[in-house]
Amino acid sequence: MISIFLNDEVMSIADGSSLTDVLKRRTIAENGVALVLNAEVVPRSRWPHIMCQQDDTLEVFSVVAGG
Amino acid sequence: MAVTDKEFLRYSRQILLPEVGEQGQNRFKQSHILIIGVGGLGTLTAQYLAAAGIGKITLVDGDVVELSNLPRQLLFSKEDLGVNKAQVAAIKLMRAYEDCEIYSYCEYLSAANTNDLFSSKPSEFDLLLDCSDNFDVRQLVNLQAIKQGITLVSASAAHFQGQLLSINQQISPESGCYHCLYPSDMSVSQTCQTIGVLGPMVGTLASMQALMSLNLLLDVDVLKPSLDETAAKTKINGNQLLGKLFRFDGGKFTWRQASLLRDPNCSVCSA
Ligand SMILES: [Zn+2]
Repeated sequence: MISIFLNDEVMSIADGSSLTDVLKRRTIAENGVALVLNAEVVPRSRWPHIMCQQDDTLEVFSVVAGG
Repeated sequence: MAVTDKEFLRYSRQILLPEVGEQGQNRFKQSHILIIGVGGLGTLTAQYLAAAGIGKITLVDGDVVELSNLPRQLLFSKEDLGVNKAQVAAIKLMRAYEDCEIYSYCEYLSAANTNDLFSSKPSEFDLLLDCSDNFDVRQLVNLQAIKQGITLVSASAAHFQGQLLSINQQISPESGCYHCLYPSDMSVSQTCQTIGVLGPMVGTLASMQALMSLNLLLDVDVLKPSLDETAAKTKINGNQLLGKLFRFDGGKFTWRQASLLRDPNCSVCSA
């Protein structure tokens, strides 16, 4: 197991978990959010290919479209 | 074009800034900014830019003023109810800021009227500001920014969340576009109509959008690469702003910053 920060909260996940796995664990719909990993946006098509590392900082948020 | 005596007085607090100076003020005067959406964001952003001495602003909105707009769309009052927002805003802003020419386009931006708006080639617009209130229009604005090669400054606010980003495909292709961050099949739950918003929340994002726009204008390299080399000696580095996503939480008062990244599979900017 490794621990990462998901929206400022510590989360433990299995070693080798992808960004997609993290969202699945939290039952977050993939088409409802954008992801920032260590202060860099990760486009959705890359999520299955990026494995979380110990102490990664992950931000999950929705689009804000109002104005 | 030189700054006149009257302009020198009026804009003295701006010209005083070494980052602006007479050259920067002239740059503002020669700029044309296109603003899509004249609601909470658009009215305030347009007012800041007109007041700062921007030469031309085009306002686009098909909506009319409603009572529920008044708490945050400070340019409008009871007398304006039922009148087109772009039209009212253009009249009021031109009255207050006579140096600024304001054009109103009283229709919603749509795939059908983009050719009309972007008829001049190269584009007459120096910046494209997204102040719209829905996701579909935001995708369309992004597409036009890429097609026309204009710098896009996109702001949004709803609930206690605000987002701000700027992109330019020519200068910062590695940052991708709005669609790389938010693909068009995304589900959108939060709009001001369904979830509500406080006036100053929208105002915060509008101020940041206007400030970012002025900063980008001061960096000529960001707008027209290698076009105007003599004017390139400015101290504002607009490249530090391009390709960044800023998110403001107005409940917790936190700002977060992230670098945007191009999606190699993006159907809009990688096609
Ligand atoms: Zn893209």
